[in-house]
Amino acid sequence: MAMEISNRLGLANVKSDYIHAAGRKLEDIHEQLLELEAKGEVKVIHIKDENKAIEADTLFGWKKKIPTNRIWHHKSCGQCGNIPGYPVSLLWFMNQLGLEYVDERNQTSCTAWNYHGSATSNPVGLAAVAVRNWHRAYELGLFPLFHCATTFGDYKEMRNMLVEYKELRDEVGRIMHKIGRELVIPEYIVHYSEWVHVMRFEIAKLKKYDLSNIIATVHPACHTYKMIPEDCIYDKDIYAGKRTAVSTGVALALGAQVADYSTWYDCCGFGFRHILTEREASRSFVMDRKIRPMVREAHSDVCITQDTGCTTTLDKNQWIGKAMGYTEQVPVMADVMFAALACGADVFKIVQLQWHTTDWRPLCEKMGIDWKKSEEEYNAYLEELKAGGKTVNLYEYPKS
Amino acid sequence: MEYDENGVSIVPSEFKKEIFEEAGKDFRYQEYVRGCLNCGVCTGGCPPHRFFDFSPRIVLQNMKSKDPELIWTMMDEYIWACFQCFTCAMICPFLNSPGGIIAILREIAVRRGFESAKKVLKPYSRVLLKLTAYGNQLSPDMIQPDFFPDWGPTIGYASTDLAVKRKAIPMPTLQVTNLSWDVAPEAMKELYAIFDEAGVFKIIEAVDPSLYEIIQDIVDDVRSS
Repeated sequence: MAMEISNRLGLANVKSDYIHAAGRKLEDIHEQLLELEAKGEVKVIHIKDENKAIEADTLFGWKKKIPTNRIWHHKSCGQCGNIPGYPVSLLWFMNQLGLEYVDERNQTSCTAWNYHGSATSNPVGLAAVAVRNWHRAYELGLFPLFHCATTFGDYKEMRNMLVEYKELRDEVGRIMHKIGRELVIPEYIVHYSEWVHVMRFEIAKLKKYDLSNIIATVHPACHTYKMIPEDCIYDKDIYAGKRTAVSTGVALALGAQVADYSTWYDCCGFGFRHILTEREASRSFVMDRKIRPMVREAHSDVCITQDTGCTTTLDKNQWIGKAMGYTEQVPVMADVMFAALACGADVFKIVQLQWHTTDWRPLCEKMGIDWKKSEEEYNAYLEELKAGGKTVNLYEYPKS
Repeated sequence: MEYDENGVSIVPSEFKKEIFEEAGKDFRYQEYVRGCLNCGVCTGGCPPHRFFDFSPRIVLQNMKSKDPELIWTMMDEYIWACFQCFTCAMICPFLNSPGGIIAILREIAVRRGFESAKKVLKPYSRVLLKLTAYGNQLSPDMIQPDFFPDWGPTIGYASTDLAVKRKAIPMPTLQVTNLSWDVAPEAMKELYAIFDEAGVFKIIEAVDPSLYEIIQDIVDDVRSS
């Protein structure tokens, strides 16, 4: 078997016997990091046995260990404010699977909005913020898991710069000393979608609904696989190893059909600055380059994302398309939210789809989910809270 | 900066040379500007190229020309068209990063308080405030119909009973309305120390002095708490 095409809709389920790893000759930053550690120049947050890591292949066939347990959640400053079902679904799965983690207040944004959006930072500032947050995980004895694709891209870049430039290490080390911290670098920079990917078969065991009639289209976030592309998961059984496997992998494992569309590689139109200050560009990009191709070419039931900006941009900008006579609509949610829905998580309390703009109810109905019952229970819960009732949480952080 | 009778800035060539040299001295420059075949694959894949007069191939060619006049032509609106998606960097056969060059040029424009940068960033001040003063970004109370009428009729969901809806999110860190999550003051204080040491506050002062003053008031309050 050289190649086997089983998906009538496209390439997602193409398997290959080969990893075509030939190409650009790059230094493996992981090896250089360990050399610096051996020289005593940096401390490394290592993957330990307790992290129960699962290995995955990256673009050039290098191995990457993805920790699945004893996790420090590095939240996204976009997701938490705007798409709360994203982190909640992730924590829900970790609870379902009996895994340990910490979600706490002692974390800042990666501040990479000030890198890509406004240019009001610099490499020293960005790298110091990264190390500050890495060190917080280090002092708790946990491994950091980054929820945001831009954080993931930024931190991969900062990790590489810190390894390659002594002057930057010295300057960041000086700042860390000033705030009572040390220069530490995680052995691997890991995005939440990589956790979902390596856990996809465990997740699939929790499946409650048949997804065989659901057609999904995947929009991978640029900053996961275009920034430091060599440090991103590829799998020879998904897109034959030609495209990043994350997000597509979990949808396939859950039994959904993952359909291809012609603008898969395009960004979402977020643009950082554009989504706020040149919205016409973002809106046009969403409809013309993403949503319409997904619906017209693939008849997509759901658009699966893996990043804050993409989810927001693709979800919020469909309604305005009607002004141009565009009738195409498709609900947008992160891979982990789609997986949580498939595994029976509550539509309102856990997946929190009520914050989304494009109508997701037809998808729920096609999946066989009774969203009306969920809405009634959620509204009753809101009334309880208004009357002074106690919150029901997935996690309680230690009170200090 | 001097201006002619039509209000067009007259920029001395020495100044333009200074800008190019500042970009060239950035330690990232050698990583981002390598050989170029002029193949144009970066521009072919560039999302904003479809909507703006913007081409990553031109960005790279201008930098490689080392001609301060050509580089100066990009310092106004041109550099702000980039989406920062890094499609160009991923597909470049020579490992160039036009997106990275854009980041360097934008940082120079902001650091030096160019009028074009001030104009472009003005509508961005709320995000800049949240990010710099609180170590956070998009707060739930920012999603209001008045600000996002083009996001459709259901966008108003967040504008009613927001506090109780946030309380119903089963993560205690998220049960706030004015921040994405409830950032601990000690984390904010460390962030301010980083911004002081790395010169981030100074950058914001250069590009938006009034916003800088508001941020400093918040910083002072948190530091004294």
